[in-house]
Amino acid sequence: MLALWRKIRRTGRVAEPAPARPDTRESPAAQELVRELAGSVQVRHVDAGSCNGCEVEIGSAFGPVYDGERYGARLVASPRHADAVLVTGPVTRNMAEPLRRTVEAVPAPKLVVAVGDCARNCGVFAQAYGVAGAVRDVVPVDVEIGGCPPRPEQIVAAVRGLTGR
Amino acid sequence: MNLAALGFAAALTSAMGAVIAALVSPADRRALTVGVATGAAGGAAVLAGAAAMAGQGFSLAVPWVLPLAGFRLALDPLGGLFVAVTGGVAVAAGVFGIGYARHGLAGRAAQAVLPVFVAAMLLVPAADSVGTFLVCWELMAVASLPLVLAEHRRRTEVGEAGLWYGVMTHLGFIAILIGLLIFAAQAGDASFTALRQAGAHLSGGVASVVFVTTLVGFAAKAGIAPLHAWLPRAHPEAPSHVSALMSAAMVNLGVYGIVRVGFDLLGSGQGGGQGGGQGWWWPLVLLLGAISAVYGILQAVISTDLKRLLGYSTTENMGLVLIGVGAAGMFAADGNRVLAGLALAAALLHVINHAAFKSLLFLAAGSAVHATGTRDLDALGGLRPGMPVTTGLFGLGALAASALPPGAAFVSEWLLLQSLVHGLPPSGVPSAILLPVAVAAIALTAGLAVATFVKAFGVGFLAKPRSEAAAEATESPPSMLVGMGVAGAACVVLALGATAVLPGVGSVAMLASGSPDPAVHGAVIVQLSTVAGSLSPLLLAVALLVGAVVVVAVLRAVAARSRQRRIARLWDCGGGPLSARMEYTATSFAEPLQRVFDDVLQPELDVDVTHATESRYLVQTVEYRRRVPDRIERRLYQPVLAAVRAWGRAARALATGSVHRYLGYGFYTVTALLIVLAVTR
Repeated sequence: MLALWRKIRRTGRVAEPAPARPDTRESPAAQELVRELAGSVQVRHVDAGSCNGCEVEIGSAFGPVYDGERYGARLVASPRHADAVLVTGPVTRNMAEPLRRTVEAVPAPKLVVAVGDCARNCGVFAQAYGVAGAVRDVVPVDVEIGGCPPRPEQIVAAVRGLTGR
Repeated sequence: MNLAALGFAAALTSAMGAVIAALVSPADRRALTVGVATGAAGGAAVLAGAAAMAGQGFSLAVPWVLPLAGFRLALDPLGGLFVAVTGGVAVAAGVFGIGYARHGLAGRAAQAVLPVFVAAMLLVPAADSVGTFLVCWELMAVASLPLVLAEHRRRTEVGEAGLWYGVMTHLGFIAILIGLLIFAAQAGDASFTALRQAGAHLSGGVASVVFVTTLVGFAAKAGIAPLHAWLPRAHPEAPSHVSALMSAAMVNLGVYGIVRVGFDLLGSGQGGGQGGGQGWWWPLVLLLGAISAVYGILQAVISTDLKRLLGYSTTENMGLVLIGVGAAGMFAADGNRVLAGLALAAALLHVINHAAFKSLLFLAAGSAVHATGTRDLDALGGLRPGMPVTTGLFGLGALAASALPPGAAFVSEWLLLQSLVHGLPPSGVPSAILLPVAVAAIALTAGLAVATFVKAFGVGFLAKPRSEAAAEATESPPSMLVGMGVAGAACVVLALGATAVLPGVGSVAMLASGSPDPAVHGAVIVQLSTVAGSLSPLLLAVALLVGAVVVVAVLRAVAARSRQRRIARLWDCGGGPLSARMEYTATSFAEPLQRVFDDVLQPELDVDVTHATESRYLVQTVEYRRRVPDRIERRLYQPVLAAVRAWGRAARALATGSVHRYLGYGFYTVTALLIVLAVTR
């Protein structure tokens, strides 16, 4: 316990200074939702068939260095608690129905964010036998983040677009 | 002839009638007549007991019934309380037994013994001499044994349970016999009046021997650890209404014996300070109670057998009662009569409450077992759609047993804690150590009891059925529901109307401990006298109800104001319908607690993984086995049993089968005894 406190004191704050607020280019419908969420977005992450590259970057985006939580977003453990669903990977056949149900389980107002190239257009897995399609083909998507994998800064910027902070 | 005598006579007559009815009536009407007559006997006994508690005692001496000692009965308030409790349980169990007997218990013997058992339990608290008491006690033990063995053809474990029960109950009887005979020899007469007069002048050593030997016998009957070993065996294997009678009425008589001998006959309640061993008697009782309370509930919380769980819970509750009795004795020895009365009243109230909820729980468990054919909590569940009444009543019993408001056990445990807490600052070193330990033990017990009954009710009755038998369960016949309903109504009355019951219990405690009335009783609120503390079970229940209604109403209003409702699928992690295999089982629910109390319980785990033949990385089957052996049993009983077995093998050399040899043994023994007598006299 003491060792932990000592470590915390020695390490100090490692979060990078907050970059300037990105200019968001979301659709008018999404902007309406963002206004309704009023700066606090609970996020549920769904791995629909990813190679886990995007997961590592999401982990960093909400880690101590990039600290996505300071902008009002938080990863939660159930879609029932969530406002937004963060989907990674091409949607595999096994995950198409669970993804649909997860999005359905989120109470309105809800947002769906597709993270990474695979989620946007299946990436290198396009046309593979186990892939049902991009996230857009399964559930309506509000925001997309490109990159293979996207850098944490990009994810944080997209999340800031949702929280408006 | 007053109401007590009249009611008692009616109860015994009715029980006798039930025996005759069982023997002569045709098989199709046997269970009905016996059940009704037993219930009537119970009802009359409740009246008699209530009248006796109100002060209408009676005494009766019939010298010619028993040789040498005669047959002496007397009903005083203390005995009246136990007669009333036994009667109440007999009403519920008798009515329940009508429907339950279809389960293969409609035989002549099983039906005829049940009323004998009830009558014996009614006679024990009314016995007024050593001879009468011992005869009734033995009758109770002998009558209960065939009832425990009633289902021996169906399951092999029943025989073993009956053996344990028979041996332990008779060892206890021998201990009581020795104690009371020493007492009677000192007093010069076997009537309780003579014992009472002699009790105050007994030398310390003799008084201690009497107290400890009878304590051993009575504690064995009450299922107090470490003499509880028969209880978790016999209770599950007996038919459920017999379990209810044993667990809710018979074990109480152990407590009755301790109170009768300790407080009344040996006079430690009235005189105070006389008798050499007085100082350590009641701390010993309190310590035994605390150990059994914690140990019983720990075994109950990890138990996966519904009736075994209830059996261990009996050990726990009797432990709580003994904490109260022990504390009352300690306070009385210190001269603190008010607290002594309060602790004893709490203990006696807990006896009544325990009788009500335990008979309800055993009967409801019996109803579930009747419908599904299994007692294994891991194979039950999902009984609510098929058996709504049984489920509701078991839930009521579980609430009453959980020591949470507005349950019945809450009131008595609250009173018990009040007496213990106000016993501080203590007057000596033993009480300085024991009272806080007892408070902690009660607190721990109450917490674990909640977990136990959440498990029993939630896993056993709610959620989805875990076996085909549980899925196809249908509601029990009306007579069984009525039997459970009687016990359930008693639970509700005791929980909400504790203020109506307490004055009677308080006056019993007052007489037994020689204290002023421990509490001022309003119609709704109990105000403890001389110590700060008041409680109103009824107002508490009303406040809880109002609170719940307000919370629900506010939530509804808030929900109605926001967006319109959406019917959504139950969240199942997106992966298809929830199955019964995803539920908590009794084993998994208790696993964290088992882990916490690992050092005490020492469970035996056995995980066996079979790999596929193609590759070590593929698992074919995983077998998980967990056993939690009763540690006290293992440490205490197995060495004794092993020694007895060795002794028996050694004695085989003496018993060769020759009749001449046996006659010779008898001859030489008699001769040796005569020589010893001739020399010593």
